[in-house]
Parts: sequence; structure tokens; C-alpha cells
Amino acid sequence: MNGAQYLVKALHQQGVTQVFGYPGGAIMPVYDALYDGGIPHLLCRHEQGAAMAAIGYARSTGKVGVCIATSGPGATNLITGLADALLDSVPVVALTGQVASPLIGTDAFQEVDVLGLSLACTKHSFMVQSVDELGQVVADAFRIARSGRPGPVLVDIPKDIQLAKAELDTLIELVAEQYENDEQEAIVAARKLLSEAKKPVLYVGGGVIAADAVAELRDFAAITTMPSVTTLKGIGSLDPNCPQFLGMLGMHGTKAANLVVQEADLLVVAGARFDDRVTGKLAAFAPHAKIIHLDVDAAEIGKLRSAHVALHGDMRSVLPQLAMTLNIASWREHCAAMKNDYPWRYDHPGEPIYAPLLLKQLSDALPENSVVCCDVGQHQMWVAQHMQFNSPRNHISSSGLGTMGFGLPAAVGAKMARPNDEVVLVSGDGSFMMNVQELGTLRRAKLPVKMVLLDNQRLGMVRQWQELFFDARFSETILSDNPDFVRLASAFDIAGETITRKEEVPAAIARMLQSDGAYLLHVSISAEENVWPLVPPGAANQDMMESKP
Amino acid sequence: MKQHQLNLITGSRPEVLERVLRVVRHRGFALCQLNMETVPDSSSLRIAVTVESERPIQLLQSQLNKLIDVFHVEALDQSEQSALKISA
Repeated sequence: MNGAQYLVKALHQQGVTQVFGYPGGAIMPVYDALYDGGIPHLLCRHEQGAAMAAIGYARSTGKVGVCIATSGPGATNLITGLADALLDSVPVVALTGQVASPLIGTDAFQEVDVLGLSLACTKHSFMVQSVDELGQVVADAFRIARSGRPGPVLVDIPKDIQLAKAELDTLIELVAEQYENDEQEAIVAARKLLSEAKKPVLYVGGGVIAADAVAELRDFAAITTMPSVTTLKGIGSLDPNCPQFLGMLGMHGTKAANLVVQEADLLVVAGARFDDRVTGKLAAFAPHAKIIHLDVDAAEIGKLRSAHVALHGDMRSVLPQLAMTLNIASWREHCAAMKNDYPWRYDHPGEPIYAPLLLKQLSDALPENSVVCCDVGQHQMWVAQHMQFNSPRNHISSSGLGTMGFGLPAAVGAKMARPNDEVVLVSGDGSFMMNVQELGTLRRAKLPVKMVLLDNQRLGMVRQWQELFFDARFSETILSDNPDFVRLASAFDIAGETITRKEEVPAAIARMLQSDGAYLLHVSISAEENVWPLVPPGAANQDMMESKP
Repeated sequence: MKQHQLNLITGSRPEVLERVLRVVRHRGFALCQLNMETVPDSSSLRIAVTVESERPIQLLQSQLNKLIDVFHVEALDQSEQSALKISA
């Protein structure tokens, strides 16, 4: 057995049942081992697509996603995906071929310092130095990717090590992860703050999903009856029908969520990190609130906002210890009134399609437990605002890095992971073109992903900012030369149609969901539509714009 | 600007110093002094850095602590550093 065959055995041992990748010279021994190695491999049409498919797979299931690429350009093409996984704390293991050890440092063909490149975009990375350490490195890579705050780990494997003779009996035993629980004093202090609070708010981020603590979080929310808000990544963690849930906060958050947080006297921060898109002007964010910060990553506590009580243990055990009934009836009623006073409005004049209404109609039409992947821009914010999610694993959105081109490959990964659930991509015309080659991957694997393409022939979010903050100087954001998207899809044997009028929407959504294979619903929308509300750059969250000035 | 000394014990993989220095730079700290040596009879390294920044040293310390190859980080404030110099 050689190192490459050993690697495939090690992947089996880690429970890997699907990998995504693209072959090339320095990874050929691994592809030879995969040929009959028993782990299904999906060929994506670009290494970036493979990395993002691994992210979609991981985020929709909680398992580690695996992607494979060759040396040099194969590895550099993974980088954006790895950075995306780092910013969104997604467990991914990337395996890259490297030129043979004696050639490293000679500027050999397709040689690049991948370990050096990985330092800023992975949680950790390895260059395997001998076949004897390959088993330990693979075991460490999976352990690191999924433990604590999850993240991407890269393993760079020189070709001579892939070809070297390996012993199977050196496979590493798997050890279950243990978490230390927090000191009891911090729990007592947190309970004291909770009991004293008159205006508490629960601020929920992606850490809840990583901790697999959705049930504990919902119990906590139900017992305390505390008003709650989520970040983009936290969407789906709280029950969307819970009366105290106020929606997403931040730059494009709901008016109620932002105003309530500004009034709060206590924030219970569960797996969130005071990101600038959430806080607006940091110094003016929740100015009256004390902070109880729950995060498995100690470096997030106090990074941007000091915590009065820090709890960096396992949220699954901490949250039940904090759950208590609170005497906050008048605050709860105040927040409920706010939610009632500022609902989304879907009345919109004329025939043209109004994207927020279409997304609400789509949300209502989707079967239970559908997965929605989206790209980045206006449509991404409209998905977050107007679609409802009952699990964070069903809303897959590039949040931290904001990676255009993320949606289509993420949908590929999600559909491979969850073939029995409906997987829908909501994309924009700018983002869709960034990884449009992955239509070839849909065709190859015959994946019935349903694609809703909101086409305003613009880079809409940049256009919106140009209109509002750059004197309407529309520099390089007009895409009136877009391709005919339905014909483009048809070149990959993907059915589709274009709609332009509101009245066409319900039937078109039904046709898409009833279709057998992949489907492209191309939706022509107005270029002038903006995402509201908007907290302008540098402003406090209560100073949101709700229309053009 | 305030200077701080950080003493680290790390693993000995070839890229560990690059990892430490990248975090120092990226998190907004300027490097003033650096010393690295292997710990005798072990596979670890001892790295001492003096850094300068407007930002609190805890921000850097907690980020360095996250590095998988960094086993221990100790921050000395200026008074402790001068005490050490006197005793040396």
C-alpha cells in the first residue's frame, strides 16, 4: 500500500463518505487510490467550486466537508473557499498535492508555497513530512477542523509521500472530544445579571449551530421569554414563529430588532462576535447593555466589546444552567408592540416582480426542511429578511467573507449531502456568473437543484451604495450585457423559464418545484430596487434609512 | 505606545515562527524584539517577542493562544519586564 491508498483508508476511518475535488499532476496518486477506494468523489469544474461544495456539505449536515486539489493553481484556487470556511467557522479538510519533496523550493512546475498561503486562511495547516506521520496528520486535521470553534484545515502532501510505502497498522485511533465546563461562579454571576435585568435581549450567532445547541437555545428562549434577535449566521437557530423573536439585526436587520437591542440593559450573546455588519457604529451599539458572552472561542470574548460575564464552555451545558423565568412582562409587551408596528410590507405598485414578495411566496411554497443556499448581495439580504428557516442548517449564506459565487457550489454540496430534501439556490446575476461552470457539476451528478436567479442586470448591492453614497456614479455595475441565462442553462440540459410580472410568480414557483431535474427560474426585476432598511456606514443602528433620502 | 513582552512555548514545526509573526502583524502589533531558541531535550521552541501597539495585549495573547502549535503564552507588562531586567 502506498501513502495515497493509506490516505483513502484514513478518510474511511474518519467516516468520510463524499469528497469534492479536481485532479492534476501532483495529486494523481490520490486520484488513483480514489478510483476504486470506495469513497465517492464528485468532480467540480473549478477547485473553488470543490471547496464551496465541501462547505455546503458541511454546513447542511454538521459533518466535515472534504475537498481535494492538485499543487500550484489547484491549491491557490481553493484559497477563497478556505477563507470563507474560516470566517464562517465551517469544518472543512482540504487535501492538496504538492510537488515531490526534492523539488520543493526549486520553483518546479506547478509548485507554490501552499503551506505559506494557508497561514492566513485556515484554522491550521500541515505539510506532511514523511509517510510515517500521514496517519497522525489526517487524524489531527479532522480533530482540529471539528473541535472547539470549527474551521478549515489544509493538508499538503508531496507526491513522493503519496507514492511511498505505508503500513496500515499505523492508522490512528479516534478520540472523542472533551470540553471543560465553566466555573460555577460565572454561571452564578450570569444568573444574577439575568435576574436583575429589566430589558434583556438574546443575541444569537453561528456559534449555536457549531455547538449543536439549537434545542438548548430554544429552551432557554422559551423559559426566559426574552426578546431575541439573530445574526445572518444565526438565522434558523430560533423558532421563527416564537412571538419574542424579532428577526435579524444589523445593517439590513429589522427595525424592531435594531431598536430593541439599542434599548436593552442586558445582552445575552450566544455564539456571536459583534461583527461590524451587526453592530454598526460599535461605540453606540447597545449602549446601555451589560454583556453575558457565551463563546467557545475565548479570543472572541472581549475582542470588540467587554463582557461582564464570560462563559467559554460548551453552550449545550451552559444554556440550561442559565435558563430561569424572568419578570419582564412589560418589556416583552413593548418588544411585541415594536414587532407589530414595524412589519415587512409587500404592497408594491405595478406589474414588475418585487423580489421580497417573491421570496416570501417561495418560502411559503417550499416543503418542510428545505435547504436554501444563496449568493452574496441584495438577494442574500432579501433571503435573510423574507424567508423563514426552522434550522440553521437550512440557510446557507456566505456571511463572514461575503463570497460572490458561493451559492451554486454550496447548493451542489448540500444536495449531495441531503438528497431527499429540496435544495434551492437563490442567486443574483452578478454572483451566478462567478461560478457558473458548476452547472456542469449539477449535470454530471444529475442534481435536481432548483435555482431562482434574481436578475436586475446590475451588481445590485454595489449599485445601491453608488446611488446612496457615491452620487449615483454607476462605476462598472451595469450588467446589461448578461447572457441569456435560460439558454445558458439549457446548454447543460437544465430546464428553465423567464418571468417578468408579479402575476406569473406563484405558478412559476410551482412549476419549478414540480420539475424533475435541476431548474432555472430566471426572474427579471427592476434595477432600482434597494434593500431596506439600511444602517449607513458609520451610523448607529437606530439611525437606519428606510427609503431614498 | 506601550511595549509588552510575550513568552511563548511552541511546537517545532518549520512554519511555527511564521504563524506567530503573521498573527502579531495582522492583529495590529509592531515587532520590536524577537528571540527564538529550541528547548533542550524536547521538541518545542521558546519564543520571546516584544511588541508595541495601541491595542490591549490581551487581544494578541488570546489570538496567539488559538494557534494549534502554540502551547503556552505568557504576557509580561512593563513593570514585570523592568523587574526582570534588574534581577538579570
